[in-house]
Amino acid sequence: MAKNEALFEAVLKGKRKDVAEIVQQEVDKGTNVAEILMGSMVPAMAEIGDRFSRNEAYVPEMLIAARAMQAGLNILDPLLTQAGHKPLAKVAIGTVKGDLHDIGKNLVGMMLKGAGFEVMDLGVDCDIEKYKEAVENGAQCVLLSALLTTTMPYMKEVVSGLAGCGAKILIGGAPVTQQYADEIGADGYSNDANTAVKATKVVLGLAA
Amino acid sequence: MTGKNLLLQAVQGKETERPAWLPFVGCHGGFLIGKTATEYLQSAELMVEGLKKAKALYKPDGLPVAFDLQIEAEILGCKLHWADEVPPAVTSHPLALGKKISDLPELDETKGRFPIIVQTLEALKTEMGGDTALYGLICGPFTLALHLLGNDIFLDMYDEEDYVLEVIDYCADICIKSSNIYLDHGADVIGVVDPMTSQISPSHFEQFVTPAMNKVFDHIRARGGISSIFVCGDVTRNLEVMAKTRADNISVDEQIDMAQLRGLCEAEKKSFGGNIKLTAVLLLGDEDDAKMEVLDIMEKSGNKGFILAPGCDLPYAVPSQNLVAVASMVHDPYAREAAKSLQTKASDSFDDIELPDYHGARAVVADVITLDSTSCAPCQYMMEAVQKAADKAMVKVWINEHKIKVREGIGMMVKLGVKNLPTICINGEPTFASIIPDQATLVKAIEQAALPKMSVTS
Repeated sequence: MAKNEALFEAVLKGKRKDVAEIVQQEVDKGTNVAEILMGSMVPAMAEIGDRFSRNEAYVPEMLIAARAMQAGLNILDPLLTQAGHKPLAKVAIGTVKGDLHDIGKNLVGMMLKGAGFEVMDLGVDCDIEKYKEAVENGAQCVLLSALLTTTMPYMKEVVSGLAGCGAKILIGGAPVTQQYADEIGADGYSNDANTAVKATKVVLGLAA
Repeated sequence: MTGKNLLLQAVQGKETERPAWLPFVGCHGGFLIGKTATEYLQSAELMVEGLKKAKALYKPDGLPVAFDLQIEAEILGCKLHWADEVPPAVTSHPLALGKKISDLPELDETKGRFPIIVQTLEALKTEMGGDTALYGLICGPFTLALHLLGNDIFLDMYDEEDYVLEVIDYCADICIKSSNIYLDHGADVIGVVDPMTSQISPSHFEQFVTPAMNKVFDHIRARGGISSIFVCGDVTRNLEVMAKTRADNISVDEQIDMAQLRGLCEAEKKSFGGNIKLTAVLLLGDEDDAKMEVLDIMEKSGNKGFILAPGCDLPYAVPSQNLVAVASMVHDPYAREAAKSLQTKASDSFDDIELPDYHGARAVVADVITLDSTSCAPCQYMMEAVQKAADKAMVKVWINEHKIKVREGIGMMVKLGVKNLPTICINGEPTFASIIPDQATLVKAIEQAALPKMSVTS
């Protein structure tokens, strides 16, 4: 897919006005809407994600890039629906019960959205019922976030509570480790917002 | 030299005979006395009780008066959500709800929970102030600004740069007021704790945080106080800009390479501290994990201007024995030697070293695990005690000394499950660890160990 360098750079640098302008110009020119999204905007979010993983971009840089991406999506979304473009998959994300921290959860949600997933944001302080409801509403993958060592054990309860529901379960957050994910039987683990996208694709069979 | 003096020397960059030890006992103090974080962090009486218990158990050189970064925010109008095992969390952000800086309440020692803090600090000065350095931990300017503005601060750093700078500068003034409260009542060191700065780039740090931090550090120095910049979280990329602030000390979390930090701090003439892993080692690991971790940190950090501390606020339910193990590493050179042998243990299965047939032996077997009885005084006394007891006992005793300076000794230590040096094992069971038993006790233990053998032979 052709890459519009100016659009790629505008998303990467978080220039939301520029993004909206360029996207509108491309739409007016009759460029394929999926191509605008997948050729320039999604790669830009992937690039900011990689920089985040390498400690070259931080929370503010991720947030403004995601906001710029959203400015473009506001124009593209209705056109994508009209054109029959489907999201990669439907996923749900929430911080577990007892934990009110949402920066990490929000970043992962934004990155997933930026990668082409439909994201249901369940918010913070989520109990098992909330995750179950999301699965009933079509979530193919449920992502659990925790910042506190004291709320991390609740992930185990959610994994047991969702056993057999058919959805994949990913966990992440500062105290969480791969070892813990293995111990509680989660399908996957990610240590940052960028790798969460890759992990989601892997557990859903969208990437190797 | 008292522990307090040793810590104050270390924090001022001087060489010390052993690392200074500063366990960040926050709500963990509540755990030690069977109280929730909610009860603990709202009661001077409980905080004093918890910290006295921590002092007795962990033999620290310094302790924080409280570890709660929401004290200032609560006074300024943030709502708090309290929990049993963690400090409270901020749930509302006044500046995001339409308030202006000028609308926010004044902060002084009569407001919010500061009367409790002052009462705790004064009691601690009396109870342990002679030999324990007391840290006043205050919420740093960037984290406090985030409490007031909410997550919008990250976008506002681009959209409303001047406004964010104004808020952070206001927060620095609040930091000055809270450090004054601690200094007025005798705190020895002020730690400016600013974990949210781990989420921003070095250039944002220099633009938004450095000027505010320096204002606070300059104030503390002008009052004759000592300051520390303390950031929980991964600040690898920000270490250089942190080292360039005017704080006297840098304290960091578990992700940081202490050898790198040591180099940076030496260049900037700062002391430094950290960085025992909170979850993997202290909360979920065992005593051996704690000892190995501490040994590694000590080797990388050296003894010049170094303060051993957990990476951040100790989790509520950290098993006490893990912190007691850390304390033994700090205070007991033999514990450090024993831990070095654990390092060897990790890479060797000692399959070729076999324990004797204790059951079939026609005597009681006393294995004494030592560093080396010719060079380690406690080891020498323990060997002598075993020898005397063996002479006095009415049964036959075979005595073997296993020095952990050689591989065979380490192998025996591992196979016998010995954790401390020196230790006496009787018939393969670690029976007396570290403390030399009196002769009657030792004789009795040996004779009792012979009883099953007698029934076997009869």
